[in-house]
Amino acid sequence: MEVLDLDHAGLVAGVLDGDRRAIARMLTLFDDASPGSREAAGSLAAHAGRALVVGITGVPGAGKSTLVNALLGAWLERGHKVAILAIDPSSPISGGAVLGDRIRMGEHGSHPNAFIRSFSARGELGGLSRATRAAVDCFDAAGFDRVIVETVGAGQSETAITAMADTRVVLCPPGLGDGIQAIKAGILEIADVLAVSKADLPRAGETAHELREMLTLRRANPDQAWKTRVMLVSAPEMKGIAELIEAVEEHGRVNGHGRRLKSPALDIRQGHGTLENSGDADVWRERLSALTERDGLCATLGISVVAGGPGRAEVAMTVDARHMNFNGGCHGGTIFALADAAFGLASNSHGALASGIDAHITFQVGVRPGDRLIARAYEYSRSKRIGVYRTEVLRIEKENKETPVSAFTGTVYIKQ
Amino acid sequence: MTAKDFRPRVLVTKIGLDGHDRGSRIVAAACRDAGMEVVYTPPWQSIPAVVKLALEEDVDVIGISSLATDHLIVPKLMAALREAGLDRVRVVVGGIVPDNEQPQLFQSGVRQIFHPGTTLDEITTQISTYASEARLAAAETGV
Repeated sequence: MEVLDLDHAGLVAGVLDGDRRAIARMLTLFDDASPGSREAAGSLAAHAGRALVVGITGVPGAGKSTLVNALLGAWLERGHKVAILAIDPSSPISGGAVLGDRIRMGEHGSHPNAFIRSFSARGELGGLSRATRAAVDCFDAAGFDRVIVETVGAGQSETAITAMADTRVVLCPPGLGDGIQAIKAGILEIADVLAVSKADLPRAGETAHELREMLTLRRANPDQAWKTRVMLVSAPEMKGIAELIEAVEEHGRVNGHGRRLKSPALDIRQGHGTLENSGDADVWRERLSALTERDGLCATLGISVVAGGPGRAEVAMTVDARHMNFNGGCHGGTIFALADAAFGLASNSHGALASGIDAHITFQVGVRPGDRLIARAYEYSRSKRIGVYRTEVLRIEKENKETPVSAFTGTVYIKQ
Repeated sequence: MTAKDFRPRVLVTKIGLDGHDRGSRIVAAACRDAGMEVVYTPPWQSIPAVVKLALEEDVDVIGISSLATDHLIVPKLMAALREAGLDRVRVVVGGIVPDNEQPQLFQSGVRQIFHPGTTLDEITTQISTYASEARLAAAETGV
């Protein structure tokens, strides 16, 4: 464990004290992945586990923000300290974002026991910004006993909420038909509560019926203490809200608060922040290191495994004379090999044999002897046969700052 | 610190009773397109609400749009920000501000006043600079 520098130690102390300015600043540090924020997140996580964290997700326009506002109001009324993390999409072009959830949360936002923070997704997949988990732990450690995470309108892949929330609520507005089809393979399976929103609209009952039907088709898991519930809610009419809150609270009682902390496999900081925080990090590192030791090219170039996880790998190397081209710069092939090593490990991490069938790379900056490079690969998509992986190659600078060197995308064919 | 090292966080809002929000929407969109993260609110915000929001969202710059004499309550906002310990947050005003009323705004701590005719590029460039200043101040003080 690294030692916290003074500023961060002070901030951590402020957060634990419930100082709102310290909380706000800490969240920004997480969001920017500033040097030292990783260690601070670690020390805050040690104090987390008391809050009930509820993830709210659903297709765009499902009514997530409206429901969050209703939940916020109800919990404040019951005397809870409530923190909300609202995640909005970012522009793929400029990287900017308009964080507009405030528009609908004005009513309770001014309450002294409420803390509302928006994050932009910063291009992350999975419906969550990469700093989400650290932010949730921060709120938890600061004494908020109810935390709501509202995600970018979700589709099939936005299941990362599992690792962020103790209780997952999926909103399904009525009458979408195809919309339900589209999400049922993904997020419906992770729902603890399925809420049919806009219950004042016609066909809401029908949608609820379809969802119940769908749940009965699923294979029952006898170990599960909780059976997914389907409920009807209408936030503007405050109908079904009390029942929904009761269901969420009950789920928290049955499954326990802090369940999220036990699911390290989906640490959202994949591809950017740490991988090593997960409980089984050592197991993963050893597993991937064993593969690397059998890899002739990795041995030749001096590539070693830093961390790994399902669908993820981080490798590192220090550039020396062996890696140079005739112009005295680092050979593009060296960087490709590093990115490719991470890609190979990530794509083979699930056990099934995955063979690369295509890969591309960009080169942003020059690299010199002595530079420390890391490559982080993460899973972009994976079906039965085809997996797409992205790898970023970064140069480690002073204070652990990272400069992007290369972006790499690779596709694998998966043999069954 | 430059804007390259971080994403500026900007609050675009309106205080007072003026409901003309077309300008603030345009500026919010321009800031987004310039790569900033913009917290946008509808008009008619109260000063305590703006202060709480600025604190929780840890914004670097607050842009107040004023088209109907609401700039006259900006000094009250400045005092409230100071009281909340948000001295580092830079505040700019855009809209209709008569020349003879500018000094009292600047004296209260407003950094810049954007008058009609200012280009969006100019606005976003300056906001970005103020955001860098604010971040630097945050890095120095710790909060």
